[in-house]
Order: sequence, then structure tokens, then C-alpha cells
Amino acid sequence: MKKKKKSAADIRRVMLAAFLAIVVLALAVVFFRSGGQQQIIAKREAPSEQPRRPASGPAGFRDVILFFASEDDNLLHPEERKIPAGASAAEEAAEVVRELIKGSNGSLLSALPAGTRLRRLFITKEGIAYVDFSREIASQPSGSSEELAAVYSVVNTLAYNFKPVKKVFILVEGAERETLGGHVNLGEAFVPQFSLDAR
Amino acid sequence: MSPDAGSIPAASTILLPREKLRDARTARTRQWLSFSLVFFSALSWVAAQPTLKAQVQDFENYSRAILTLPSPLPFSLVKDDNFLQVRIPTGNTFNLKAEPIRSRFIKSISWNRSGGVYIVVIEGRHGRFRHESFQVEKRRQLVIDFYEQAEPAPSAAPKPVAPPAAPEVPKPAPSREEAPPAQPAAQPARPEADVPRGVRTIVLDPGHGGIEVGAKGKFGALEKDVTLAISLRLKALIEKNLAYRVEMTRDRDLDVPLENRAAIANNNRAALFISVHANGSPRRKAKGSETFFLSLNATDEEARRLAYLENNSAQFDKPMDTSGNDEIQMILWDMAQSAYLKQSQRLAEIVQEELNTLLGTANRGIKQAPFKVLTGVACPAVLVEVAFISNPDEEKELVAPGFQDNVAQAIYRGLVSYIRLSP
Repeated sequence: MKKKKKSAADIRRVMLAAFLAIVVLALAVVFFRSGGQQQIIAKREAPSEQPRRPASGPAGFRDVILFFASEDDNLLHPEERKIPAGASAAEEAAEVVRELIKGSNGSLLSALPAGTRLRRLFITKEGIAYVDFSREIASQPSGSSEELAAVYSVVNTLAYNFKPVKKVFILVEGAERETLGGHVNLGEAFVPQFSLDAR
Repeated sequence: MSPDAGSIPAASTILLPREKLRDARTARTRQWLSFSLVFFSALSWVAAQPTLKAQVQDFENYSRAILTLPSPLPFSLVKDDNFLQVRIPTGNTFNLKAEPIRSRFIKSISWNRSGGVYIVVIEGRHGRFRHESFQVEKRRQLVIDFYEQAEPAPSAAPKPVAPPAAPEVPKPAPSREEAPPAQPAAQPARPEADVPRGVRTIVLDPGHGGIEVGAKGKFGALEKDVTLAISLRLKALIEKNLAYRVEMTRDRDLDVPLENRAAIANNNRAALFISVHANGSPRRKAKGSETFFLSLNATDEEARRLAYLENNSAQFDKPMDTSGNDEIQMILWDMAQSAYLKQSQRLAEIVQEELNTLLGTANRGIKQAPFKVLTGVACPAVLVEVAFISNPDEEKELVAPGFQDNVAQAIYRGLVSYIRLSP
């Protein structure tokens, strides 16, 4: 009788333990899964929640260098720009890419096709900046030099201005793409090639 | 300020995919089931027909076709111009199973029927060939060797008459089911010594093709057309003057995926890979030719790993073994070119020198770039940007047959010097 009682208690204990284990497991799953998503959401929402842009105060700006192609030679030439300071490197990097798309204020040549939009930009802990362009970046027939200029104007500009950026991965319409126009491999993150910059 | 803030998807759309995934999973299972049903019924239908297996292997001075019949059957051989007919008088129609053919002397294998005779038609690559045939495997296998007839005195060394060759033949045929093309199983341990064999392959890759037009000139010239014209001229020069076989990644206006181009080189165990392109630049004045070899997007750590590979590149001289660990194979395939960077650089230098001297085009030197088409090629490989199609002056030249000839000449001379310097 006593024994039976004990075993019943045992069963209850085991069941409780199992129940707790399941709850813990479920919580862990929920925690990790939603954790990942929240991160993404936070990153996405970051740019839109910044109406508190530090107006035109001089402290609210940051000097950056953009690299453009040039009619003079085959190198990428620097151009200074002021951008509004952002809350994060990713935010500022996105602004820099938008400036690159707008093109040179001087006589330098934009390496990115007109109509291209930046869709998203984020920087991973490993130092890879993922830059997601709209389809226009790959819309027109292009030669090797055009592709190289387009890719490395982005890669070198980001790596030059942002310490955390070690490599740049280019996406098109949110997905990986083989090449822009049949030449340069987009399947791997790019390491900056500062030898392409005019000094 | 940020015009694309509006295009950022709402949070709810981000959570959706998991549910979708579950739906997709059941849908996929159903799809898979119906697919396998169709597949197996198709399989049983095909299995009902007796199979006639055709295999082709290249040897030093001949190509061998092996036909494996389901049972010993009488046959006769009829030669007609550059076709060899194997006529089998039988009411049966066989399910002809032929691997893709990449061979020096055999172009294609097909079949037809005529009046109670099943005919296997073997098309020779060159008009004149001489053939020798014998049977093995209790007359179930018919072996036909194709020689070039131009040489009346065949080299004495490898004389593959029936008896000595026979023991070698039966083994590969029955055991190989889905072996990758052009990797003759008859050479399991391919010694390094046979690298400078009689005939090796140069793979020419005319850039772009089909809907992938490449760069476009002001007057409408397309990169894909120019690259094909030059490559065909280069092919003719090599075949006329060098003891190399030429394989093209495309010989007409065709869309060929970039990986397939590298695969064609590797499956043919190419000695050299030349990708021909015409350049386009945002600069209107850009002109001249450039020869590229692959650059790797390598950080320090990766660079060390690659340096190791480069110094231990012997493994890449062997054909890839696609069995075993797929993931490792994929990584190796991705990095295949990294083992050949030194040779590729040398080849690029020599080709570029020739382009400079012969054409007098502006020297833009050799360069490194991460070109997709080069990454998987397991042999010295370069990408030649002949001239700028985006420059109106050079566009006019690029479409001119005379200029195309000159370019082909220049690349050809570069190849000759490279081959001479690196036996």
C-alpha cells in the first residue's frame, strides 16, 4: 500500500518533471525564435523611427568620403559629403549608399545605374554589410568595367567610412544573385580593394 | 529623406513565412508523392524496353565507343562518309542510353530503324576516320575504336588490338551506372606522368549568349556576338596549328549558365580555359584590352587556407570524385581556380603582351577580378576583355572581321608562348 502510494507520487513527480521540461523547452524555442525575429524587426524599424534627426545642427552631421568612377582614369575617385548623423552605423551606411546612387556633385561618374534604389542595409556582428538594391542595379546590359565600378564604389565607400564593415555582400531585390550582368561574382562577400582608389 | 522607408515590409509579413512553410511542407509532400508515382510508372515503362548502353572514352590517339547489348546479337558495320552504322537485325527497339559525348573523334550517337533493322549511328567528328572493332563480354559488348585516318602509319606504341585491350574493357562498362561524362573509368589512378599526353583540350568560352547579351555598344553591337565571332576564329587557328583539341562552351547564340562553362572545362580536363569578352565602362573614353585572372575575396585567414591549397594543388589535377562528401566537393569546386592562380597570372601576362604588340591597343595591363566564370575552373584560366564595346571607335573595330582575326591571332600567339614555356 505504502509502496503503491510512493510509486504514485513518483509518477506524479516524473510527470511534473516532464511537464516542466516541456515548458522550458517550449519557452526556449519561443525565446530563441522570436528573439531572432525581433532583432530583424528592430533593425528594419530603426531607420523609420528617426524623425528626431538632429536638425541642421553642426554636431548632427558627419563627414564621409564617397568613391565614384572618373572619366580621367580607371580608378575610383573620392568626393567629400556631409550626411546627417544617424543612430547606428547601419543607418549612416544606408545614407551613404543613397548618396552614392544620387551621383557626384562634381564631374565624377556615378557607377550605379539611374533608378537604382537602396532597399535595405544591415551590418552583421561579423562585419559583413548586406546591401540590398532594387532590380534596377542589374537591369541594363553592362561590361566588366561597369560591374567592377558599381560593386567597388559601394564596397570601398562603405569599408572606408565605417570601421565595423570588413566585407560587403550585395543583394538584389532581397535575394542573392549570381552576377549583375554576367561578370562579377556576387555569391561571396566582397573585401574592399583600396588599390582601385585614386590617392 | 529616406524615400524607401515606405517599402519596408510590416512586421506581420515577417512572421508569416513559418506558417507558410508548414503549408508548403504538406504541399511539397503531396507534390513529391505524385511526382514519384509518375516517375516510377515512367521507369517501369522504360524498363520494359531492353537497354542498349553506349559509352565513349577518349584515349591517346583514338576514341572508343562501347555498345552494351542486352543479349548477344548479330550485327554488321556499315561506314558511310563520317557515319558508322551498327546494324542489328532485330524486331526490338532498344532504349538507347548514351552519356553526353565529349570526345575527340566521336561527335554523336543516335539510333533509327529501317525495315526490321535497329541501327545505331555513330557520327565521327572528322570526316575521315578509320575504325577497328571487336567483341567482349561473351559478345554482349561491341567495342569500336575510332582513329584519324590522315595518319597512315599509326604510332606503334599503343596498339590496342583486341586481346590486350579486352581485359580492360569489360570492367568499366557494367559497373558504371551514372559516371560523370568524359571521366573514363579506365584510368582510375591517373598518373601525373601522363599530363603532357598527345592531345589535350583548350576550352574557349565566348562570353554571354542568348538573352544574356553582355555589354552593348552605341551602334547596337552586342558583346555576345563579338565574343562568339572571335572565339570561333581562335578555335580555327588552334585546331589548324596546334596539337590541341578545342571545346567551346557555346558555338552559337546560346544561353549557357556560368557554372556549366566551368564544368565543361573540368569534365574535359582542360589544359587551358580562355573566356573571351568585350568590355563596357561608365567612361566614354575607356579603351584598350585587358586580360584578367581570378581574384579571391579572401581575408587573411582565408588567404592562408588558399595558399595551402595552391601549394598542394596536385589534387586538382585529378578529375573531381563526385562521390563522398558532397559539401566538401562543393567547396573544392567553388575554389578550384584558387589552386591555379600563379599559372593563370602567367597566362594572363603572356596573352596581354601579345594583345599589346599585335594590336597596338592601349595597354591596360593584367588585372585581377572576382569573375564568376573563372571561380570553378580547375586549370589555368583567363578572361580576355578584347576592347571596349562602350567606346564607339572600338565598337566599330570589334565588329570588323579583320580586327576579330587580329585579336584571335594575338590570343593564339599568347597561348603558343605559354604552352612552350610551361610544358
